[in-house]
Amino acid sequence: MVCVSGLVLVLGLKPSVRHPLMIRFRNCVGNRPLALTGELYSNSFGESFSVQQFKYYVSAVRVGDGGDRGWAGEEGSEGVDRGHTDEGEGSEVILKEAHLVDEGDSSSLVLHLSTDLADVRTISFVVGVDSLANTGGVQGGDLDPMLGMFWTWNTGYIYARLEGESDSAHSPAHRFTWDIGGYKDPSNALRTVTLALGGARGDGARDDGAMGGEVIWITADVLKWFDGKSPVHLAGSPICHQPGALAMRIADNYSTMFSVTP
Amino acid sequence: MKSFLTIGCLLMVVAWMGAEGGTVPGLSVAGMSVAGKPVPMKLPVPAGWPAPQYDFKKNPLTKEGFLLGRKLFYETALSRDSTISCASCHQQFGAFATYEHPLSHGIDNTLTTRNAPALENLAWQKEFMWDGGINHLDLQPLAPLTAVNEMGETVAGVLHRLQRDTAYVRMFREVFGDTAINTQRMDRALSQYLVMLVSADSKYDRVMQGKDSFLLPERLGYAIFQQKCNSCHREPFFTDFSYRNTGMPLDNTLNDFGRMRITGDRRDSLKFKVPSLRNVAITHPYGHDGRFFSLLNVFEHYRKNMVVTPLTDSILQHRLPLSNFEIGQLTAFLNTLTDTAFLKNPLFAPEGYVITPVFVHRH
Repeated sequence: MVCVSGLVLVLGLKPSVRHPLMIRFRNCVGNRPLALTGELYSNSFGESFSVQQFKYYVSAVRVGDGGDRGWAGEEGSEGVDRGHTDEGEGSEVILKEAHLVDEGDSSSLVLHLSTDLADVRTISFVVGVDSLANTGGVQGGDLDPMLGMFWTWNTGYIYARLEGESDSAHSPAHRFTWDIGGYKDPSNALRTVTLALGGARGDGARDDGAMGGEVIWITADVLKWFDGKSPVHLAGSPICHQPGALAMRIADNYSTMFSVTP
Repeated sequence: MKSFLTIGCLLMVVAWMGAEGGTVPGLSVAGMSVAGKPVPMKLPVPAGWPAPQYDFKKNPLTKEGFLLGRKLFYETALSRDSTISCASCHQQFGAFATYEHPLSHGIDNTLTTRNAPALENLAWQKEFMWDGGINHLDLQPLAPLTAVNEMGETVAGVLHRLQRDTAYVRMFREVFGDTAINTQRMDRALSQYLVMLVSADSKYDRVMQGKDSFLLPERLGYAIFQQKCNSCHREPFFTDFSYRNTGMPLDNTLNDFGRMRITGDRRDSLKFKVPSLRNVAITHPYGHDGRFFSLLNVFEHYRKNMVVTPLTDSILQHRLPLSNFEIGQLTAFLNTLTDTAFLKNPLFAPEGYVITPVFVHRH
């Protein structure tokens, strides 16, 4: 340890200070918290529904400081919208691999990460799984096909799933299942989300975590799945089980569901 | 003790293959495992074939990995009620297709909508299934494993079963270095077995290597084949791995639109993968749904029964004229694609299994 520090000093490098950064996901339906226990919600078309499963992959998490330094971290993985640089010049990928957020598994709602950036102003991430993982055979961890977020008959990850019941859904047992994925053009359902954290360090957007680091609360609103960009009715489209036009529209919709909670 | 026996068997098999003439694709296994390290193995690449598509860097072939994959392939515990293994529908004596069954059977008296394809030369394939929906060999087993009309299990259910089986725990440790049994390892082991299913020792292959010669009808048939069939059933795989609409009308009880289900493109309606013709004499019935019981049915389809639409393959817009004479010679040629060394290779059979050839005439 001493040797390593000495070497770093000899080489004239500053040992980097990693700032712990916690990301917490809070899933909701409009202004109500999401519950998977049969509560009835209503979308903007007046279709009532309950939710049984709500999951989505978050990958290539990048934070930015709004400053003018060069890239602090690795290049983003494939699928990151590199053209989208309004977050500023100083940024760092702090989580490359995909993480599955599952409302049914509270431990999945927290990410313990760290960053070189002293001042985090923006956060961006990809909703979905990059194409290398979609074409590279069987993956492990959160990408284990065992978890069911995967189409075995038409290879590819399900990037996000909303599943429940609705009297408006004229499908068997009134169940609606929206499994969204697709990595091939023109049905590439990967979406990059960029969120501003608001003002300077210490504003309401972040509070101190138990470990003394910052906490970013990200809220995901289920209601946006129906109308985030264009209307998708449960009555008309209760089932989405494959890549294609419907999956693209729903992906567009849910790409607007995230916000940083003050 | 058991592993020594296994190695002994393997050595015997290698010796047997040598005695058979040495062209049988098989294990190039030499020596025993040293200090618990798995013994590397090489894929037999037949002369003149391209490099395989499969990425062996991520999943290096070893003798132990092959044997684990073989055990899994014959493992009925992969199905929900422990009645069906991969080998139930992929029978070695039928070139790993289902002998004489049009549609594969699943658990609980279910039927699938498709004919099980022969498993051969998979290391050279990029996409799998009749519709090409699966883009990696390692992922392929997950489809039959989880389909309700096939093995009807969950991946987690299978893994739990394997994790409780001390034989598997030992074998996974031998192959991967520790006892973890997960989806990736299970599928990689299966791939190690599957890529070894190389069929390249038919009479046709021996003729091409100058070691044998065609009989007259076989030679005439080969010439007709090159003129009329070879553009899709391209040598040496006897498929170009493309998807084509060959004028097989939709069966309205199956409603299988083939490739269109994968791409969502209407132009892919009723397109299916061009099947290899290797071992074709014993992979009947034919077609993605096994609708053709014999080769004669296939020839009748191409010359007479095709339902030609604008979406039918451009080279089949006028069907495929074949005279009775041509059909006879083609049949003679297609019979030269049967690779009995492949069909009877004991390496591919479950441990301890004695292969009885289906073609032995018993009095």
